Amino acid sequence: MRPRLLLASVLALVVATGAAAVLLAGAGTGSDAARAERLAAELRCPDCAALSVADSHTRAADAIRGEIERLVAEGRSDEEVRRHFVDRYGQWILLAPGDPLAWWAPVLAAAVGIAAFSVWMTRSPRARPAASGAPAATPPVADVSRVREELEALDG
Amino acid sequence: MIPTLGHAAVVAGLAATLFASAAFFLGGRRRDAALILLGRRAMYAALALAFLACGAMVWSLLTHDFSVRYVARNNATTTPPFYSVISLWAALEGSILFWTLLATGWAAVVLHRFRDRVPSLMPWVGLTLALGAAFFFAVMAWPGDPFVRTEPVGVEGRGPNALLQNHPFMGLHPPLLYLGYTGLAVPFAFGMAALVSRRTDEAWLGIVRRWTLVPWIFLTAGIVAGAWWSYEVLGWGGYWAWDPVENAALLPWLTATAFIHSSMVAERRGTLRVWTHALVIATFVLTLVGTFLTRSGVVESVHSFTASAIGPWFAVAIGVALIGSAALLLWRLPDLGDARPPGEPVSREGAFLFNNVLFLSVTFAVLFGTFYPMLREAFSGERVSLGAPWFNQVNAPVFAALLFLMGVGPALPWGGASWATVRDRFTLPLGAFALALAMAVLLGIREPWPLATFGLAAFVLTVTGEEFVRGARARRRTRGEAAPIATWRLASHNRRRYGGYVVHAGIALMAVAVAVSGSFASDVTATLRPGESVRLGSYTVTHERAVTEPLASDPRVIETRAELMLSGPQSGALAPALRDYPSSESLIATPAVRTAAGEDLYVTLLAFDPSGAVTLHVFVNPLVVWIWIGGGVVALGAVFAAWPARRRATAPTPVEAPTPAARPVSAVEGGEP
Amino acid sequence: MSGRWLRWLLLPALGIPVAWLLVASLGGSVPRVGDPAPEFSLVTLDGRTVSSADLAGRPYLLNFWASWCVPACVEEHPVLLEAHERFGDQVAVIGVLYRDSPEAARRFLQTYGDGGWPHLSDPGERLAGAWGVIGAPETFLVDAEGRVAARRVGPLTAGELDTFLQPVATVDR
Repeated sequence: MRPRLLLASVLALVVATGAAAVLLAGAGTGSDAARAERLAAELRCPDCAALSVADSHTRAADAIRGEIERLVAEGRSDEEVRRHFVDRYGQWILLAPGDPLAWWAPVLAAAVGIAAFSVWMTRSPRARPAASGAPAATPPVADVSRVREELEALDG
Repeated sequence: MIPTLGHAAVVAGLAATLFASAAFFLGGRRRDAALILLGRRAMYAALALAFLACGAMVWSLLTHDFSVRYVARNNATTTPPFYSVISLWAALEGSILFWTLLATGWAAVVLHRFRDRVPSLMPWVGLTLALGAAFFFAVMAWPGDPFVRTEPVGVEGRGPNALLQNHPFMGLHPPLLYLGYTGLAVPFAFGMAALVSRRTDEAWLGIVRRWTLVPWIFLTAGIVAGAWWSYEVLGWGGYWAWDPVENAALLPWLTATAFIHSSMVAERRGTLRVWTHALVIATFVLTLVGTFLTRSGVVESVHSFTASAIGPWFAVAIGVALIGSAALLLWRLPDLGDARPPGEPVSREGAFLFNNVLFLSVTFAVLFGTFYPMLREAFSGERVSLGAPWFNQVNAPVFAALLFLMGVGPALPWGGASWATVRDRFTLPLGAFALALAMAVLLGIREPWPLATFGLAAFVLTVTGEEFVRGARARRRTRGEAAPIATWRLASHNRRRYGGYVVHAGIALMAVAVAVSGSFASDVTATLRPGESVRLGSYTVTHERAVTEPLASDPRVIETRAELMLSGPQSGALAPALRDYPSSESLIATPAVRTAAGEDLYVTLLAFDPSGAVTLHVFVNPLVVWIWIGGGVVALGAVFAAWPARRRATAPTPVEAPTPAARPVSAVEGGEP
Repeated sequence: MSGRWLRWLLLPALGIPVAWLLVASLGGSVPRVGDPAPEFSLVTLDGRTVSSADLAGRPYLLNFWASWCVPACVEEHPVLLEAHERFGDQVAVIGVLYRDSPEAARRFLQTYGDGGWPHLSDPGERLAGAWGVIGAPETFLVDAEGRVAARRVGPLTAGELDTFLQPVATVDR
């Protein structure tokens, strides 16, 4: 099935670009200020509703930001900085906690959805007039699709 | 006197909607047109009563009648008239009153418009809408009474919530959002009616498609306006925080969008009846979940109204709507045909249905993320948070895949694609994808999601553009029309399709703007004495002086402004402020935003001291304005798609008769009975 | 075919989350003035256990605070010291740490003065959750019958202390 082949290669292209981009991105993050900023975006501002420390300027958020900068300057790793705040405030402080259930539940749901859909779509053998029976581009493709579009226009 | 009248109107409204429910029920069972007419008139009366009650509340607010508790809590003698009026929806009870007005408004419009059509469905549509309205009247009659009096009467009220009287957008965002929420009861009502009356053919689907699209437009506009409001008012430089209440608006939007796509397949193929019904039910129930989240106080949120006793009422309503409609659907399952796949995987319907899977994945992720902290606390007692970083990481891949499908779907023909078609349709868009990616990399963009978004947006825009060009070219050839006329006629003869493409283009625009503004914003915080300046990128912000004075429009509000001079690509005076509202414990920031096509300069005043020194947070947010422009394009495209087509001689009557043109195509390709 | 009735199992499956929402919204309704105060048994900073049963028959003032809550908790602290000094014989003062670590709390007390009343650790914010605490500082007054007598969100000020304690204490100046 050649259309599937093409679709597969397109998907592969997209995935490859994504992967390349991830690799490229990994190389980019460095400076202390950028790290502190990134960590601040991961921590919840204790005295506001749903914002991160990076997005807030309450006293508590400012204090935490200062502390992040200090810890980063001391050369602590990202994980150590997170741990520091989790010890003080509990898991609650992390906006993206290292909680496996929280990460896997949506991934699992999406996977089950996609799997069920794929099985359903390919389940029963059907007549495939459009895919296999289209005479190999004798009328120009544009004309064939044009006819389709005109037909569709009727039910607009 | 006036508040008493308002309260009486609420009670009478409850009676009218209950009466209408009974009349529709009996009228539907006995097929008695007189009873159905009575029910319809009772719903018109309910609308009039809701209008009267809202009028009484607005009057009480405008006249500062502090004998009404709602007025005493949300109004002051110094509140400007505009904010007095919009205080109608600024707090819990008033918002329910306003909601009821919109819900009865939608019900009346629908019942009036379809008064002579689809007679088998209408009593049940009326019954569903009347019961929904009755619920809201009941909430106002018992736990959420907006007209509760206070004794003794104060001479001054607390004034509106400071955040809500800070920007005129508050007059726009909630009404749009509520119009969307309340309007989504209409497709639900038609879905229920189709199930009850066993008329689950294309008739209900044809109606429901348009009547989902219209509330969808309001909901979309409401969400974008809300993001804009948040950006202009909250002063944190962002527009979307994955706050529970923002999620509450997004959830029904996601399922409604999924419905709009799968209903096209369902209508064309005559299948997917269970699926489309389930989506309509899910959308309506999610609007209730949204109101529950906002009003029950079960989640922490910037938007939440104060915790109140109406939470359990909404939980019960959600239960009745969900269980009741699911039971009805299960009961009618044998009528709804089997769930045969509608066609080839590589076809337009394949892409549309895969899009549904992805939309539901996002829906699940957002629902899960919103409730997981609550669940976790209930079961393990541990408090956890799921915030923006979690939502972004979980949803970004799915959004990218949706963007990809948005390009794939329209380019694939219905039924299935031959190799030649696929090659013909995708060569140019894939070239655009690669080119955009290469350009983005050359521009120094290294982050994965912005890169993917760039490439995919180029892909989508090329596919969309090609669809227009292809169609217009064919028209030009066959009818000899000039290009602009050919394009316009092409689009206006198939509004749903080409309107949909415009929506896609708007979404692609928003996606690029969101990715860029999220990844390339820069900011700096600085404390400046008068005469000092701070640089950010190519901008210089100079602090001239700090001014503290009462606000001209409301002298109880003390405003401190930092008068700044901006130079750089944009220049001129800027004055971010902090306002001290008597009703608020903390100062409310009023950011100053200078917008250009390329980037916004955004300044928030964080603090000031008596010496005149100010602390500023300065942001350069690239492309943010394109989010609002993209939102506008989406709305325009959707309005174009929903606009009633002018009656043509060849056009089949849209209602009650399945469209004949769709049948031959599907009969050939899908082997329909 | 078993599928004919199996599908009805979907209904209870849908019912569970809804029932949970109902319970959450009922439980979420925080105690109002006049309602019984939530019970507790928690460990203090110096390792003793204090429970609501110990306080039966005695009014108490429950103050949720945190060392990070500046300036509000700092501003409020002298008011609590005054309350403890003037009314301590009538009303027990009890502090509850709100999302704070014991070390940070001890440092706070060293800096701003330790009035000697107990400060409870509230792991997982269970007590804060039961009371529906919005943010630190937040203060509740419980009367001798164990009912909520008053609530204050935000710092108590010196001026309103007497009025706040009026329901349970003899206030005469």
